[in-house]
Amino acid sequence: MISYDAIVIGSGITGGWAAKELTERGLQTLMIERGRNVEHRKDYVTEHKPAWQFPLRNARLAVGTQGAQEYPIQARTGQFHESVKHFFIKDHRNPYVEDTPFTWIQGDQVGGKSLIWGRQVYRWSDLDFEANLRDGHGVDWPIRYADVAPWYSYVERFIGVSGEKLGLPQLPDGEFQPPMEMNGGEKFVKAGLERAFPDRRLTIGRVAILTQALNGRLPCHYCQASTLPAARATGRLTILPNSLVHSLIYDAATNRVTGVRVVDTNTKQTREYSGRLVFLCASTLATARVLLNSKSARFPNGLANSSGVLGRYLMDHHFRVGASGVIEGLLDHYYQGNRPNGIYVPRFRNLGDDASRRSDYVRGFGYQGGASRQGWARGGGEPGFGVELKRKLHDPGRWTMGLTGFGECLPRADNYVELADQTDEFGIPQLRVHCTWSDNELAMRKDMAASAAEMLEAAGCKEVRTYDANRAGALGAEPGLAIHEMGTARMGRDPRTSVLNAHNQAHDVPNLFVTDGACMASSSCVNPSITYMALTARACDYAVAELKRGNL
Amino acid sequence: MRRDTISRRQALEQVALLLGGAISAPTVAGVLSPATRRAWAASPAWAPRTLSPAQLELVATLAEHIIPQTDTPGARTAGVHRFVDTLLTDHYAATERDRFLAGLTAVDGRARSAHGNVFVQCAPEQRIALLTEMDAGAYASGSGEDGWFFRRMKELTLVGYYTSEIGASQELHVSPFGVYRGDIPYASVGRAWS
Repeated sequence: MISYDAIVIGSGITGGWAAKELTERGLQTLMIERGRNVEHRKDYVTEHKPAWQFPLRNARLAVGTQGAQEYPIQARTGQFHESVKHFFIKDHRNPYVEDTPFTWIQGDQVGGKSLIWGRQVYRWSDLDFEANLRDGHGVDWPIRYADVAPWYSYVERFIGVSGEKLGLPQLPDGEFQPPMEMNGGEKFVKAGLERAFPDRRLTIGRVAILTQALNGRLPCHYCQASTLPAARATGRLTILPNSLVHSLIYDAATNRVTGVRVVDTNTKQTREYSGRLVFLCASTLATARVLLNSKSARFPNGLANSSGVLGRYLMDHHFRVGASGVIEGLLDHYYQGNRPNGIYVPRFRNLGDDASRRSDYVRGFGYQGGASRQGWARGGGEPGFGVELKRKLHDPGRWTMGLTGFGECLPRADNYVELADQTDEFGIPQLRVHCTWSDNELAMRKDMAASAAEMLEAAGCKEVRTYDANRAGALGAEPGLAIHEMGTARMGRDPRTSVLNAHNQAHDVPNLFVTDGACMASSSCVNPSITYMALTARACDYAVAELKRGNL
Repeated sequence: MRRDTISRRQALEQVALLLGGAISAPTVAGVLSPATRRAWAASPAWAPRTLSPAQLELVATLAEHIIPQTDTPGARTAGVHRFVDTLLTDHYAATERDRFLAGLTAVDGRARSAHGNVFVQCAPEQRIALLTEMDAGAYASGSGEDGWFFRRMKELTLVGYYTSEIGASQELHVSPFGVYRGDIPYASVGRAWS
């Protein structure tokens, strides 16, 4: 068996950070990835291609089309387009059982979903870290904003984040590059909205896309995967693609994880690798599956599961609810170029004061959205053809503005994953997922739609319409679709009610760390990725120090 | 590669509703295969894989009426008919494909009963009259199969044309990569970005 200082399972956003931090601190590190190898830059084969170079013009591959045949789950997301199809998993390679509708979006390559993520990055605040303690849902986080703040800065300085500082306690500012610009429609809505609601703000999205060069990476260059190149540069990283983790190997005599059992996805042969410490960064559900499938006499219900909460308290953000409207006039305003970003309206409900308190639900939501002028596609929706139609579509159409809410989801024991009886083609038990929205989320959604409409109307938009894609028991806005799934191996203060401690270290097994979305004890309403990254870097710093002290 | 945020895309999907649901999901879906790539190229060896030669000509004729040649090329030059054959072959489910083909047959049926000829053999003014009738009917309530077909044909023509190199860069502008300016006078651009 080949032995390493550290083993990192997963190569996405958190695996990448773990590899970078561990190798830079001198550890010989093995990164294990279930999918194929993807080389930075060289394998971004569709990057910068215009639509006409795609047979179907970079079409959305919706469920039911031929292109979605091998991707019946992945095709549920609107992100599933011709140009990025090769960065999504073929669903037969990762079957799971849906007790209730749950969309599990996965990558299947080195880099994971970090190659296709939306790059929105928002710091959590103490409103989030104290939420469970305040209202009694879930268990108290063992950390506070002050614990993570320096690590947010550390991550922001490396990846590069553009955005506008607002000085809001519920959405702490970061170390930002200059913000991207709003367009004329967004400026119009911002002015009207902030005039009508002095306690609310509309800002440009905070996004991990450069507006200035950073560490040799060009501004506005989206394919800026950055951690794996840094880890490789140390000479201490070994990447093992096409290797699906079956389980972790546990030694009861020392109470340590001693290695990892993997299935080669090409040959289906089993191999083992040993390491002094393990970082589990396989993505929320995959991480839960590895732990649940790592059974021993000491841990018959899954590794590090003396609490019995492993697999439980699964969350996702609930979204696809909001409003849109038309902005009259401003026809002399236009924009140029692609801005892979939208606008953001920070949370304004349940901030701890009387004015923002809601009686119908706890926690809160934010909005993402944007304005644009209608393009040529509008021609399909109304009568007209020929020269007249062509002339009309030569010019852009009216301005429209949309707001989509992203709401916090409560941590509940009823939302869980467990091992199913059936196995996948690699002989590993499939996951069975059970996850629904609670009355709290459903009550919040009503406000998310109504408040979006109210703000757009107050800002001067016309033809304002609300929407809510959620359909009880059916697809539309089902859990998983936001691709912010988190929980199942939560952090906490008490080993009896949580899996991980304040350093993402398993309470039960000192050399096991979980730093992907599985570690989350609540969900906030902001996009989670930068919090995963900051927690990963922080946990690596702690783990290496502990290793050097001889405590692991 | 597209790098929009999920959230923004979802928001824009909703904005797209305001476009009148202009582009139906199956219109903008498909598969990337070597066969598709070959079919897409406008080489002399190109041949339709689903449409018959007569159907291909009907699609090209309908598309050219919808987006005709002016001072810039029209739908036929941009290869909209080849795009439609590719979609029908590599992307549509069988039921959707058959529904579209039935719509083509119905167009010829309509042309025969009105003018005694299949559509492409009707005189230009007869074709315009038929199209005017179909277009008006397509957006009325209860427009049925004929309405569905004409709206779909128009959507396919717009997608096929404005995402072609001709439509995107000659009729409209291709937005330069790497430059973003949020608020500029429309007069400084003068036509829509593709």
